[in-house]
Amino acid sequence: MGEGTGELGALLLADARLPTGGHAHSATLEAALAAGLPGERIPDYLSARLRTVARTEAAAAVLALRAGLDEPVDYTTVQAALAARTPSHALREASAALGRGLARLARRVRGDHPAVVGLSTAAQAVPGLRPMRPVVIGALGAALGMTEAQAARAVLYDDVQTVTAAALKLHPGDPLTTAQWLLDAAPDIEASVRAAVATEGPDDLPARSAPLIDQWAGEHTYATRRLFVA
Amino acid sequence: MPETASPATRQTLRLGVAGPVGTGKSSLIATLCRELAGELAMAVVTNDIYTDEDARFLRSAGVLDAERIRAVETGACPHTAIRDDITANLDAVEDLEEEFAPLDLVLVESGGDNLTATFSPALIDAQIFCLDVAGGGDVARKGGPGIGRADLLVVNKSDLAPHVGVDVDLMVADAEKAREGRPVLALSRHDAASVARLCAWVREILAAHRGGDHVPQDPGPMAPHSHGPDDHGHGHGHALHAH
Repeated sequence: MGEGTGELGALLLADARLPTGGHAHSATLEAALAAGLPGERIPDYLSARLRTVARTEAAAAVLALRAGLDEPVDYTTVQAALAARTPSHALREASAALGRGLARLARRVRGDHPAVVGLSTAAQAVPGLRPMRPVVIGALGAALGMTEAQAARAVLYDDVQTVTAAALKLHPGDPLTTAQWLLDAAPDIEASVRAAVATEGPDDLPARSAPLIDQWAGEHTYATRRLFVA
Repeated sequence: MPETASPATRQTLRLGVAGPVGTGKSSLIATLCRELAGELAMAVVTNDIYTDEDARFLRSAGVLDAERIRAVETGACPHTAIRDDITANLDAVEDLEEEFAPLDLVLVESGGDNLTATFSPALIDAQIFCLDVAGGGDVARKGGPGIGRADLLVVNKSDLAPHVGVDVDLMVADAEKAREGRPVLALSRHDAASVARLCAWVREILAAHRGGDHVPQDPGPMAPHSHGPDDHGHGHGHALHAH
């Protein structure tokens, strides 16, 4: 079913050139800096995300991947569980916007795969909320034959690189430094990969929201003169 | 999650407006709204470096209901948002088409960029490239994909030409030479005849789109290449009568 695309899928989902809308997102970094986060503390911001919101999302992607391989495919529970663990309206909307772009990609490249067709169940789980990014990444992971660890790591890697790419637009710095930030985050990333893969079911999904990130994301909704949508 | 309708079956014309910063893209769109909103169901998507400046300008102009004007963030990459990753714009266009169905015309305004930034045909059906006389009379001669191959090239603010030492007729002639017969329009919002020609072109391209006679063209990111006598890849010039 993966047709040997698992390894490539992992690279594809991690590629900043993937045309699914990610370039207009900062993973709330723009709002964090606007609220006074010193640029020197961006690595701490990365670490905080990897231990909170990103860990929850990585685990949700793993659950979605498993659901995508079930028969019949049903993402209702994982979408609802993830939405319940994303208390910020702004962050749910940002995740749904990214999920929308990824779903368009999924329909284009694997539109007939049950894991992709089944995304309609996620769309019905929470009224008014499109399938969130981790759910669609899980669906793509299932359709492309990725492993659970690959799907989880794709979520976490993308989270870090969304911040680092935005940082270069928002804060003066050497682009090469951001690669160091990523590699320095390896222990946090791998710990969250292990935790994600060990997640047994939706009831077990970590509820690790970060109140300050929630607040910043909400404030950003009303900010004018912003570069990034979220 | 319906797929976006293909150009062949979609009644709405998606029209992009690209061009360098400050050449009058927002003003051109405001003019189109003012002139056409009475006869066509319209909506606008704006792209800005700083979010919603252009959307606010259009809303304050009062030429279209505010909820029909959406601003899209581009992550400081306006060229990416109209070409390499059109997701945010496509989402906004699809949302407007769904909420205000049936729409005749959706205008997508690019965030001002350089001369190489053009729309992907996956986002729009036709595109206007906008220059202005104040940017210098030689810009049209310099060429580029938008100048050479957009569906319509507008030389805007023609009323300013005497004040900036530019010969509009010469600039238009240079552009026509670079465009191999594709239309060029010298425009001033203070010149009713030129505005009428712009509106006529939009009506014509809408009719061609609906009649299946218009195929979205990619002006391409590349410098103009030489055309042999057998080149028939761009034979879509919609007539525009004089300037």
